[in-house]
Amino acid sequence: MDYSKILYEILILTSISAVLSLLIVVAKAVLQNYGDCEIDINGKRKVVVKGGSSLLTSLADENIFIPSACGGRGTCGACKCIVTDGGGPVLPTEKPFFTAKELAENNRLACQVKVKNNIRIEIPEEIFNIRKFKAKVAKIEDYTYDIKGVSFDLLEPKAIDFKAGQYVQIRSPRYGKIRETVTRAYSISSKPSNKELQLIIRKVPDGICTTWVHDFLKLGQEVEITGPYGDFFIRDTQADIIFVAGGSGKAPIKSMLEDLQEKGSKRKMSYFFGAKTTKDLYLTEYIESFSKVFPDFTYYPILSHSVPEDNWQGRTGWLMPFFPDAIRDPKNTEAYLCGSPGMIAAITKSLTGLGIPEDKIYYDSF
Amino acid sequence: MKLSPNDIIIQDKMKPGILTSDGFLGTDKRTFRDIIAEDMKVVNTLPRSLEEIATRMTYFMEKSFLSYDGSIIIDKHYEVEYKSYRGILLSPFPKAGRFGKATIRVTNNKNNSTVTWTPLQVHFIRDHAFFEGKGSKFRLEPEVLHKTLFD
Repeated sequence: MDYSKILYEILILTSISAVLSLLIVVAKAVLQNYGDCEIDINGKRKVVVKGGSSLLTSLADENIFIPSACGGRGTCGACKCIVTDGGGPVLPTEKPFFTAKELAENNRLACQVKVKNNIRIEIPEEIFNIRKFKAKVAKIEDYTYDIKGVSFDLLEPKAIDFKAGQYVQIRSPRYGKIRETVTRAYSISSKPSNKELQLIIRKVPDGICTTWVHDFLKLGQEVEITGPYGDFFIRDTQADIIFVAGGSGKAPIKSMLEDLQEKGSKRKMSYFFGAKTTKDLYLTEYIESFSKVFPDFTYYPILSHSVPEDNWQGRTGWLMPFFPDAIRDPKNTEAYLCGSPGMIAAITKSLTGLGIPEDKIYYDSF
Repeated sequence: MKLSPNDIIIQDKMKPGILTSDGFLGTDKRTFRDIIAEDMKVVNTLPRSLEEIATRMTYFMEKSFLSYDGSIIIDKHYEVEYKSYRGILLSPFPKAGRFGKATIRVTNNKNNSTVTWTPLQVHFIRDHAFFEGKGSKFRLEPEVLHKTLFD
């Protein structure tokens, strides 16, 4: 066997592969060098970025954070924005997230749009207020068997400007068998003036981020938070208020109540909280204490399935039959709901049936 | 059963730590195609189709919205508990959309059988005949599901 010939052929093949790889690298650098690209935002603000990255990443590099729950993998559909010019064709990965009308209105997923040239976009003004924070876990409290309150000290920046009812996103790291970081949204449960930022988080069975929060997160641990997000906040009127929540839906309502207290609100408020048994109730005394703060506040914790060992003396059944007790003038009542889309649809139907205008029903749909 | 290139992507997404903490295959060593094929043999012996089973699951889920994170008795002997969680869940199957994070627990008080599912699983069953792998947290045995929903 002629070993020198074999070695010679291996050397030739290796050399050809190396040259081809080099050509690919050079071609990529030359052909995919999009240079500086200008992103025109709402016709009011322009940022210049290096082309080649996604719109989501390019904006984040400029400290403009469009909501995203999947970290830019094109799977959550949260990073919707309007691209009026320069976005290129809509990708197949984007189409399932939009209706025909939304596509006609130039809606795109920011994570799927690559910045290759100057581009013009429209995003809600509130997004400019979103920041990335470095925070440290200051307190972890067990509220129920599957709900925890987690408080954070903000390290950098040191304060967050938000409206009671809004939410933030937390990034969980790789841990155990979890191979990728994920970003998930949780409502803020502390009031805007609070030094610590508190979240109320229910453990999702088989959930990646909530399992990390419940089973792995430690006091003093640093986490990355972005926010604030969302348009669920108290409208500045004097209308009566009905709050409806269940489970961890208590978070934004708690923030709203604390904020209304600080503002010295005199509005009539009724708070309906749905739970199965007493094991699912938490912060009950704290919420009830608002009846001493506000002139007209009633808390309605309602158990759907009270068992004898609960020794429950309160209301039982569904929430809806108790709504009429809280409504004195439906046209002058606002409702703030927190829950799954199906639950919100059911409550909305009940409240509109009692005369509350649909445009006065605000919700944080999970 | 040999997996196509698209199936390999789906199979990968079903593994732990990708879409959910424990994934959808449990301790099952079979491919998801083999799991589906085996389960379909059982489904074919049942008096109702996948579509009818999924429609029944949706019926209980929608009725349970009224309980607002509590439980509710439906049609006299079905106790349905709905628990909602913040966030959405994605399907490992392509172009399937997004599903709310929730658990729906149905107990048939006539025969004392109980099943628990998530909104994503209604899509799994209706569109893919996928009941998840053995040992998966939300594995549904077709005959137990049928017994709970219809008996």
